[in-house]
Amino acid sequence: MTGFITRRLLLLIPTLWIIATLTFFLVHAAPGGPFQSERDIPAAAKEALYKKYGLDRPLIVQYGRFLTHAAVLDFGPSYANPAKDVREILFESAKVSFELGGWALLLALLLGVPIGVWAATRQNSAGDFTAMSVALLGVSIPNFVLGPLLVLWLSLTLFWLPPALWTGPSSRVLPVLTLSAIYIAYLARLTRGGMLETLRQDYVRTARAKGLDERRVVFRHAFRLGILPVVSYLGPATARVVMGSVVVEQIFAIPGLGRHLVNGAFNRDYTLVLGVVLFYAGFLLIFNLLVDLAYAWLDPRVELA
Amino acid sequence: MSGRPTSLWSDAMRRLRRNRMAVICGIFLVALAVLCFGAPWVPGLADPTAPNFDLGASPPSSAHWFGTDPLGRDLLARVLYGGRVSLAVGLVATLVSLLIGVSYGAIAGFRGGKTDEIMMRAVDVLYSLPYIFLVILLLVFFSKSLLMLFVALGLVQWLTMSRIVRGQVLSLKQQTFVEAARALGASDWRIVFLHLVPNTLGPVIVYATLTIPAVMLQEAFLSFLGLGVQPPGASWGTLLDDGRKMMTLFPWLVIFPGLALAATLFAFNFLGDGLRDALDPQSRPTGA
Amino acid sequence: MPAVRAPAWLVTAASLALTAWLLAAGCGGRMATTSDASGREYFGSVRVPGDRVFRFNNAAEPEQLDPGLMSGQPDGRIARAIFEGLVVADPHTLAPLPGQAYRWDISPDGRRYVFHMRPGIRWTNGRPVTAGDFEWSWKRVLDPATGSRYAGILSVIENADSFNQKRADASQVGVRALDDSTLEVRLVSPAPYFLNLLTFYTCLPVPREVLARFGDRWTRPEHLVTNGPFVLASWKLRESMELVKNQTYWDQANVKVDRMIAYPVDDQTTSTNMYKAGVIDWQPSGNVPAPFLPFMRKYADFRVGRQQALYFYSINVTKKPLDNVWVRRALTHALDRATLCDKVLKGTRPPWGLFCPSGYVGYTPPQPVTYDPEEARRDLAKAGYPGGKGFPRIEILINTSEDHRRIAEAVQAMWRANLGIPVDVANQEWASYLEKTTQVKYDVARRSWIGDYPDPSTFLDIMRGGDGNNRTGWSNPEYNRLCAEARMEADPTRRMKLLSQAEAVLLDESPVIPVYHYVTMELVKPYVRGLYPTVLDYHPLKFVSIDPDWREHPEPAGSDSTLAAERQP
Repeated sequence: MTGFITRRLLLLIPTLWIIATLTFFLVHAAPGGPFQSERDIPAAAKEALYKKYGLDRPLIVQYGRFLTHAAVLDFGPSYANPAKDVREILFESAKVSFELGGWALLLALLLGVPIGVWAATRQNSAGDFTAMSVALLGVSIPNFVLGPLLVLWLSLTLFWLPPALWTGPSSRVLPVLTLSAIYIAYLARLTRGGMLETLRQDYVRTARAKGLDERRVVFRHAFRLGILPVVSYLGPATARVVMGSVVVEQIFAIPGLGRHLVNGAFNRDYTLVLGVVLFYAGFLLIFNLLVDLAYAWLDPRVELA
Repeated sequence: MSGRPTSLWSDAMRRLRRNRMAVICGIFLVALAVLCFGAPWVPGLADPTAPNFDLGASPPSSAHWFGTDPLGRDLLARVLYGGRVSLAVGLVATLVSLLIGVSYGAIAGFRGGKTDEIMMRAVDVLYSLPYIFLVILLLVFFSKSLLMLFVALGLVQWLTMSRIVRGQVLSLKQQTFVEAARALGASDWRIVFLHLVPNTLGPVIVYATLTIPAVMLQEAFLSFLGLGVQPPGASWGTLLDDGRKMMTLFPWLVIFPGLALAATLFAFNFLGDGLRDALDPQSRPTGA
Repeated sequence: MPAVRAPAWLVTAASLALTAWLLAAGCGGRMATTSDASGREYFGSVRVPGDRVFRFNNAAEPEQLDPGLMSGQPDGRIARAIFEGLVVADPHTLAPLPGQAYRWDISPDGRRYVFHMRPGIRWTNGRPVTAGDFEWSWKRVLDPATGSRYAGILSVIENADSFNQKRADASQVGVRALDDSTLEVRLVSPAPYFLNLLTFYTCLPVPREVLARFGDRWTRPEHLVTNGPFVLASWKLRESMELVKNQTYWDQANVKVDRMIAYPVDDQTTSTNMYKAGVIDWQPSGNVPAPFLPFMRKYADFRVGRQQALYFYSINVTKKPLDNVWVRRALTHALDRATLCDKVLKGTRPPWGLFCPSGYVGYTPPQPVTYDPEEARRDLAKAGYPGGKGFPRIEILINTSEDHRRIAEAVQAMWRANLGIPVDVANQEWASYLEKTTQVKYDVARRSWIGDYPDPSTFLDIMRGGDGNNRTGWSNPEYNRLCAEARMEADPTRRMKLLSQAEAVLLDESPVIPVYHYVTMELVKPYVRGLYPTVLDYHPLKFVSIDPDWREHPEPAGSDSTLAAERQP
């Protein structure tokens, strides 16, 4: 086990290196560059800015410099905000995104998984259909519609909650609800699917045949394996949730991580984009490692090679 | 495992036909697809791109069942025409997710060890690359077309699916029926695709149906970047995206595309559930 | 299992109905509005905040607070609140008022200015503000090594351009501190708008010792040293900026708010919701979602004013068949800007057939371009495409936005209908769009131009051949000559006439098709005073105050502006 974890952690380095390299050349290959505007920039200004950020050097030199600095998590200043370092920006917004994503994920797990188990044990009953239809509703109302609806209803009509900003506990409610809706739905559907699959496996039938209590069968035997697809899904999903949601951050004016990537991409803010991508990749790799460990824990027969 | 392989398919079809819900959903989807792809030949349907500046945005009426948008274009026509791209996109992405995602994940999970490690790290890399730039570069190097749209969506739609299937296979391959199959001399290929994959169908079908609305909405983002439908054309995703900006003023602009999307999702979902039950010979609904 | 399928159907139908209901209920719900005793209706809550804090949406995260390097409106709004230049703009008319300079002398030929610094003015670190600070700050902006994107604003100063383009050195630039309290500026030509230019953020002074010490990081709140009516107390990225009154500011007795909070909310719906709920007191122009604009005019807190800015279509004249002037004239004549503005934009912005906006004193514009489909078809025939036959497919390039797209779709429909030519619309994200327009790699592109100072040359100069903002490939010797002559002309009447002739050439040659005249559309709470719509959409925040008893006090003149009826054609 320790060997496995060590090996995976060591493997992080080459994987991140590949991601860093591909991303570096990807962003530099995109048309346009930083410092563009609808208004012409004097040639002298452009030259000076490019020189200042080393963008006038050959791409391969820039790449080398980027790699050596990225190794110590130094991405340099953001072009779109030269008074701040990318690292500083990332850490500041990460605090917000982690909190928002954490609550949303918790809510999704606490609601989605039990609903899924409950529905699976009553397959094709009216209750099952109701639960699944509500879940599907959660999937089919996009968050860019759900968020404004919640604002309209709870903030602008009933005046219960603030319409935007990230200022106090009450400002957390609407963004968390908006963000978690789709995950609740996904988790409920996936849990039900996974549970149905395991509930009809031979070993569950054996357990049932042995006359074990149905509740015990469901939770002790079926649940551990039935939850596997959910766990698989959670690896990338968690990374995505804690990295922030573009839509939710936009609707509620939340200073999270999610919009850095999009804004950075549109501004061709190379340093910011590279920082965000590597940050995200790091999380993804770690969460996927946790997922693999969770497999082994849930199903002891799974070998961690 | 009951029944001879040859009758498996017809068995499944028979079981599916008995599932009324699935049949109705299937018929609905076929009818919707016919309506959308046959939109140019639907009698009395307005031109989806012809503006009527004097009319502007108008609520549903006998002349315009779904109302009109701010340029006075008939929303029913726009929803039907828009369904062509959205349905195509949903279908292609689902197929990619099923074909590539399932086999990739199954192979990685079954092989395990180094192969699995490399294959899954490749998935992580694809996950991490900034998608916006991939799309922008696609636009630079290729002319925009429906094919490029599918490529852009297909590029990433199979990733989560492959992880789910791999997770299932990692667990399933340790079970007795795999050992039994191996003892009977079944080839790896046979074990993966005839024994392991069918046992992952539950989550696979669930996830595949959930992909459909997600991908339809993603298409709207690609349109934003310049790939996908271009003005004055529309898709359900772009219609919804436009409509949400004025949903307090002209609610029908969100409601109808939203309903089209929701109805499609519901139909695919129940069809998927039926299909899963039908394909699984062990299926024995526990009942109410 | 028919028994259990039946409720399933019900549930499905019910949830679909629920979706529809949720959407309809949420969407259709009319938002409450408030009205006062006189029956005036307000869009948002009019409850006065208990504290003397002015909250507003700055609409985007400022890139930076270094006045010499900044290039965006959100940056400028903050910079002009924390720094002060030689002159400040009147909040209503934008006419220059004394600022750090308390008086100035202008030579008879209009080419030499001498500014006298106000005695006793200090930076927030206690050091006196001197004429030398201005000389140093301006030369820093012009220094090619600084990389200032707005260096061009100072180009009326002698040798400014030459220095910026490395053809002269700093000592030759026509700005010099005669002593600590006197600044002399020499101009290339008698620019009548020079004092207006000085209210621009690029001309604000910066404290050189702080720059030297902290480099790029000197604008962080913990290092920042300023000389304006407010000081920056905190800057939380993408969250808020807090400004507090500067107690050492020379005119602090007239600064009426203790604190200002600026939010960087760029989502229009979110911003408008915040205004409605009373989270912010002011929402600057450009932040009401376009579909709502036609419904806003009835509210007393929605203020409209003319803005010195133009929305236009730009044509790549280097590409066939658009290199043919008759093709360009055909496109111009086939664009029905009146219908576009009245029906598509619902009268929220006036159609405009000229390249220069309205309101320049002493300027008589030429004949505006008109909508004439017959003429358009004749033009197209002259170009060799009668009835649009054989005309290649052209593409309208826009950056993705609801408004741009709707306008492009309407123009596309008009050109198709009036000329019978195939037209596509292509949307692109911002950076790709900019790349294509700056490189002149498009057919027809949506563009806009916002003037920097109140003079037609701020518009006409950009269409000179080779100008970085031209972006059409168009270069006309006659036009270039007229612009150059106007620049050197000392007589204001003759100068305006030359500019008018230039505009006539431009409109006739049609490398650009004017579409509409921008207007500012802001939301201001009735208790906010000292904030007026201005043609440059610039608001000196020093003059803002909050009047808790606003219902008892009459509104000062000019704060309730309505859209002038003027339109072209």
